[in-house]
Amino acid sequence: MDTIVSTTKMNSDEIFDLMKQFITEVIGEEFVEEMDITPESSFTKDLEMDSIEIVSFSEKIKAHFGNEIDFTGWLSSMDLDQLINLNLGMIINYIHECQ
Amino acid sequence: MPIIKINNRNVHIQELNKGAAETVLLIHGMFSNLSVYYFNIAPILAENFHVVMYDLKSHGMSERTQNGYDLKSMTDDLCALMEALNLDNIHLAGYSFGGLIALKMASRFPEKINKLAVIEAPDPKDEKARGIIDDYSRAFLEHYVENFTDTTKVKMGKRQMDRNHRMYEYLFYQTSIKADMIAEKDFLNDASISVLDKPTLLLYGVDSNCLETGQWLNQKIKRSELISVPGDHNIPIQEPITLGIMMDTFFKN
Repeated sequence: MDTIVSTTKMNSDEIFDLMKQFITEVIGEEFVEEMDITPESSFTKDLEMDSIEIVSFSEKIKAHFGNEIDFTGWLSSMDLDQLINLNLGMIINYIHECQ
Repeated sequence: MPIIKINNRNVHIQELNKGAAETVLLIHGMFSNLSVYYFNIAPILAENFHVVMYDLKSHGMSERTQNGYDLKSMTDDLCALMEALNLDNIHLAGYSFGGLIALKMASRFPEKINKLAVIEAPDPKDEKARGIIDDYSRAFLEHYVENFTDTTKVKMGKRQMDRNHRMYEYLFYQTSIKADMIAEKDFLNDASISVLDKPTLLLYGVDSNCLETGQWLNQKIKRSELISVPGDHNIPIQEPITLGIMMDTFFKN
């Protein structure tokens, strides 16, 4: 079950580890093992996540951070090109700034 | 992930702005999923409405099912979903095959529908779509992705190609989808379409192969308005903000 967890402010490395955990939960360990996930990894090209997987990933962020972070609202401000080029580092920065 | 039981199957739903007085329910198209609305269209509508999205059976993160891809079964599912969410009446929008489900819903259960938005609903008599099912193969999918999805700018890698291939193989070879589609080929000529009296917004791409169907529906449905937006059949991906604003304005006024 996804639950809202109250968090103290996380640093960028901790956010990166949490994002990697979410990505693993969404696409499966067998695929993640073959990937070198870095902050530069893009969601669509490098991680090959499709839109329904990004929905799952967004839901995990919402469940973890609650109202602290409007992740879907942030994504909805992007056009298709920006979404395609979205990388992990941009998300880490966004979450870091929101905390 | 929010999963609820509908007609004994697990259905993935997403809801935004649950406290709002009126609800807009969004139906995606065949071989797609609720993400077509999730990122842009739904958040725009959620500024004024409770928004409900769901994955059709065997699509997105909803459970696989062998039977029941005809419009009656699809609208039975939708009724059960409304009941589960305690929704008596809604504004309803559907894209592509979801647009046909929306039209069927408004004709079967007019008391449950306030306004109707139909995006790029095709004529199910069109044999091209069913031909795809006959000719389907992995090579076909690769060719299709390479040549016909360029207008959505999204390129598929190997893992996605495998995932999609598995979904198509399941739907085409292990379910009743093809027979159910053939059975619906005369749906738009059904008398129930011409007696629809719900305010209906028809949204079609100016370059879409389905635009003629939109023009035809506009003549048939009494209280309809057809708006052509730049793009082809993929307008929810190409022009999501335009569509979101148009639907929001239509449902509000």
